[in-house]
Amino acid sequence: MSTNVHQTGSVKDYFLDLYNGIRTSFVGMWITFKYVWSAKHVSIEYPEVREVLPERSRMRLFNDAQNCISCTQCAMACPVDCIYIASEKYPEGHEVQKTSNGQPIRLKLTQFVIDTSLCCYCGLCTTVCPTECLTHSHDYEFSQYTIDSMKYDYLAPDVVAWRDRIVKS
Amino acid sequence: MQSKWDIGEPEKRTINSETEQLKSELLTLNMGPQHPATHGVLRIEIWTDSEIVAHAIPHLGYLHRCMEKHAENLDYRGVIPFVDRLDYLAAMNMEWTYVQAVEQMLGTEVPRRAELLRILTGELQRIASHLMAFGTYALDLGAFTPFLYAFETREKILRLFEEVSGARLLYNYIWVGGLWNDWTDEQLERVGQFCDFMEEEAKKYNELVSYNKIFIERTANVGVFSLQDCLDYGATGPVLRGSGMKWDLRKNKPYSLYSEFDFDVPVGDGEHGQAGDCWNRYMVRMKEVVQSVKIIRQVLEKLEPGPIMGKVPKIIKLPKGEVYVRQECPRGELAFHLVSEGDAKQPYRLKVKSPCFTHVSMLPRVAPGQMIADFVATVGSIDIVLGEVDR
Repeated sequence: MSTNVHQTGSVKDYFLDLYNGIRTSFVGMWITFKYVWSAKHVSIEYPEVREVLPERSRMRLFNDAQNCISCTQCAMACPVDCIYIASEKYPEGHEVQKTSNGQPIRLKLTQFVIDTSLCCYCGLCTTVCPTECLTHSHDYEFSQYTIDSMKYDYLAPDVVAWRDRIVKS
Repeated sequence: MQSKWDIGEPEKRTINSETEQLKSELLTLNMGPQHPATHGVLRIEIWTDSEIVAHAIPHLGYLHRCMEKHAENLDYRGVIPFVDRLDYLAAMNMEWTYVQAVEQMLGTEVPRRAELLRILTGELQRIASHLMAFGTYALDLGAFTPFLYAFETREKILRLFEEVSGARLLYNYIWVGGLWNDWTDEQLERVGQFCDFMEEEAKKYNELVSYNKIFIERTANVGVFSLQDCLDYGATGPVLRGSGMKWDLRKNKPYSLYSEFDFDVPVGDGEHGQAGDCWNRYMVRMKEVVQSVKIIRQVLEKLEPGPIMGKVPKIIKLPKGEVYVRQECPRGELAFHLVSEGDAKQPYRLKVKSPCFTHVSMLPRVAPGQMIADFVATVGSIDIVLGEVDR
């Protein structure tokens, strides 16, 4: 029935099989035994030791709302539609301010929310941003108890407090 | 008074006839949906006669994500992150195939450096994928150490990819027209060092697992896919090559710049067992790793500084028409059939031809008559990734 039918050979074959089985097993065990001396630590003890992430690592998104011009290009580029932007016109006579790279801010940003539970970290939104205010931070420890708290409002008053921690230097 | 334990006169008992009835029944056994031998969630309904498999029926759909339908609502750049998630162990090759389909319709010329770097990433990804196949296959058969060794080596590749693209598994690195980021000289130097390291490692893995007598006894002559079956079912990649056919798209229908490269196509030669069994399929992968290292070395020699992005319009709109592009991915031939209505930002239809799907469909063919433990070895040897099967 089985496809792996053992060939009944001569006595010599039997002992040759036995010898090969023992020999190849010892070859393998010698390889693992060498790790007693030459093994290097490849894993890290995570909460105590943290890995330094590479420069381009794509972790949680961060929007520097002061530089945002509400162009909604990031929301259009997003393949999972997880960026919610709302803006309104400034009143008459408002002095137009400029972003750090000289683009005029013509609209008042009233809402900039990213649903991190939907985000797939593809990085398409950061590449289209004209003022480079939307970036991937290196912050990867942001698990929450409820799914609603995965929505991050980047206009919240405490944004300045964690800005220093999150924004890439 | 009759006791509760009294079952009557011996000749009147019906136990004997009942056991005879039981013997003729097949036992239904579920392998999966969560099973260590399947990379993902595959449920195989096995009908067993004692320990012999009588039928095996794969049930798909546990990882279905509507990728093909979803792609119809996304712009051509936005599909790339979804394509990544098809075969999450070889995401670079998936991206590359899709991007090549879009580029063929768009008529974009990709700079030479970008093409070479695509080959570099594609081959590195092939090594990473085969290492994963090697490690988990040994794990399926009861050896835990090779799994750890393979992951340690694979981690070096993933680390390189993380530095270049920013992600470890789902890269979104190969873009329409070129690449997202360039490799620095320091990173390329590390790739060269990795090539030396990998050749040594491949020898070590062969000594540790491939030529181990116990491993050979477990896999040789087990789960034989005959060449005729492979051709009938449309098997590709290591499964087809393991059965003895020398068919590799990189060699037979060279795409990208593969015609410039010198490498061999390993086939299952029946060194142990016979062509088409688990050992030969497995061994094709181990030999392909060495060939990939050879290709990477040649890429590193040919690389010259230059642009990595061709001219691509800001909003991609493809002309009306369709294209069918296939590539040699670690698991076989992956193909995209892209249909465009013309003057639309989204594809009209994106059909994925996945290699693993055909390989899963071959399981009911080889399963009857196998022991259950051999069946596990067979499922592991075709190296399926369910993200690609269910799409």
